[in-house]
Amino acid sequence: MAWHLDWAGVLTGQPLQWVISGFLTTLYVTLAGSVLATVLTVALLALRLTPGKVGRGFVAAYVSLFRNTPLLVQLLFWYFAAYGVLPQTWRFYIGDVHPWAVLPVNVSWLTPEFLCATWGLGLFSAAFLLEEVQAGLNSVPAGQTEAALSQGFSRWALLRYVLLPQGLANAWQPITGQYLNLMKLSSLATGIGFSELTYQISRIESYNAHALEGFAVGTALYLLLGLVMGWLLVAFGPKRPREKKPWLLAVAKSHGGQNGV
Amino acid sequence: MEFDYSVLHDNFTYLLWGRMADGQPGGVLLTLIMAVSAGVIALLLGIGMAALAWRFGGWTRRALFVWAEFIRGIPLIFVIFWLYFLLPVVFGSSMPGALTVTLALAWFTSAAVMHSTLAGLESLPVGQSEAGIASGFSQWQILRTLLLPQAWPNLLPSYLGLLISLLKDTSLAFIVNVPELTTVAGQVNNRVQIYPAEIFLFVGLIYYLLCATLAGIAGRWMRGGNRGSLR
Repeated sequence: MAWHLDWAGVLTGQPLQWVISGFLTTLYVTLAGSVLATVLTVALLALRLTPGKVGRGFVAAYVSLFRNTPLLVQLLFWYFAAYGVLPQTWRFYIGDVHPWAVLPVNVSWLTPEFLCATWGLGLFSAAFLLEEVQAGLNSVPAGQTEAALSQGFSRWALLRYVLLPQGLANAWQPITGQYLNLMKLSSLATGIGFSELTYQISRIESYNAHALEGFAVGTALYLLLGLVMGWLLVAFGPKRPREKKPWLLAVAKSHGGQNGV
Repeated sequence: MEFDYSVLHDNFTYLLWGRMADGQPGGVLLTLIMAVSAGVIALLLGIGMAALAWRFGGWTRRALFVWAEFIRGIPLIFVIFWLYFLLPVVFGSSMPGALTVTLALAWFTSAAVMHSTLAGLESLPVGQSEAGIASGFSQWQILRTLLLPQAWPNLLPSYLGLLISLLKDTSLAFIVNVPELTTVAGQVNNRVQIYPAEIFLFVGLIYYLLCATLAGIAGRWMRGGNRGSLR
């Protein structure tokens, strides 16, 4: 069977508009969701580290709940159930047209779909990010904490200047993975009718039946976005001192024995 | 918010097994069927790929890694879209939706199974392979009789973790309208309109119970495994 690929069916006119708008919408919701997820992760971490059982219990319940249910069900819940509980005046307000809330290429962020997608992605991803950060903190040797405490560091200073810098550097790869996951999972918001990239690609299919070309373009765009995001996160993220110190230590040890390092 | 549980009572069996009486399983039952069969296929496929990467290394391994990166780099829903498009081309006729989604899930998960398995195989002391070679074992014998059985206890918890992801991922069938739990819940919600909270909380609870049970088992295995190790 010979395929005649017709890229013009996807990359010109109305379909092209849809692809551009969908791509940027995916980008916007990824950014908004990432910010929300990061803020929530910090809050959850603080809550977990404060003394007291209530805070810890809450965080444990949060993590268990959000990790053990599908994101799509969470999105459906926020969109169909939780959103409807908001005061009616709010919902009318959100339903209005707001020129000031329109981002480039005519994408408004003040719509029920955008808000629910951001909210759902942020809350879901925070549960996963928190566990990655925690794993990073746990990977810092206990001697670091003991040294800092013996130097008179407060709990907060210990976290801020000793544990987090090392823990984040250790766990940066899986943390990057979670942000990339958030981007890919934003495709599920198509299930609540949010017009991001996946939604717009399926729209092309029903518009002119260029399914193959559409899927190829969508796949390429997600891969591209993932590569760029991954590169940016690694380039600007915390870096582990690349085995320099252990190597020097090893050299010093193998040469001079106890140097008092 | 006041809850009215009658909607759950009225649609209980539909949520649990769909139109089972008409020979079309749905709801929780279809979710479980899809998750288990996709899990079995993904396990065989993933271990097979890990064995190939372990045995041949070099370009085979690189090609498999690129393949796995590609699968993990795109959203799962696109893997489902691709199979919806490609399977009829390959097999000449359209396939049932549930089968297509199951195969897509298996395909997607096999990449993760390959990575876990390979990591498990490579964490074993190299002396095990060397002892096998010295005893005149072939490469496949080493893999089957020495390495896999030893790696197995450490691999089980990570396989269970993947099964949990798989179980949650079956919900994506909603987007292509295959009547598993999430889709069925969406149908009931569209029909009755006014009880979304009851419906989606109930559905969430079912997923939660299934996943938390599996996570509990995985956790117990992991602790058991650590106790038995040489640390």
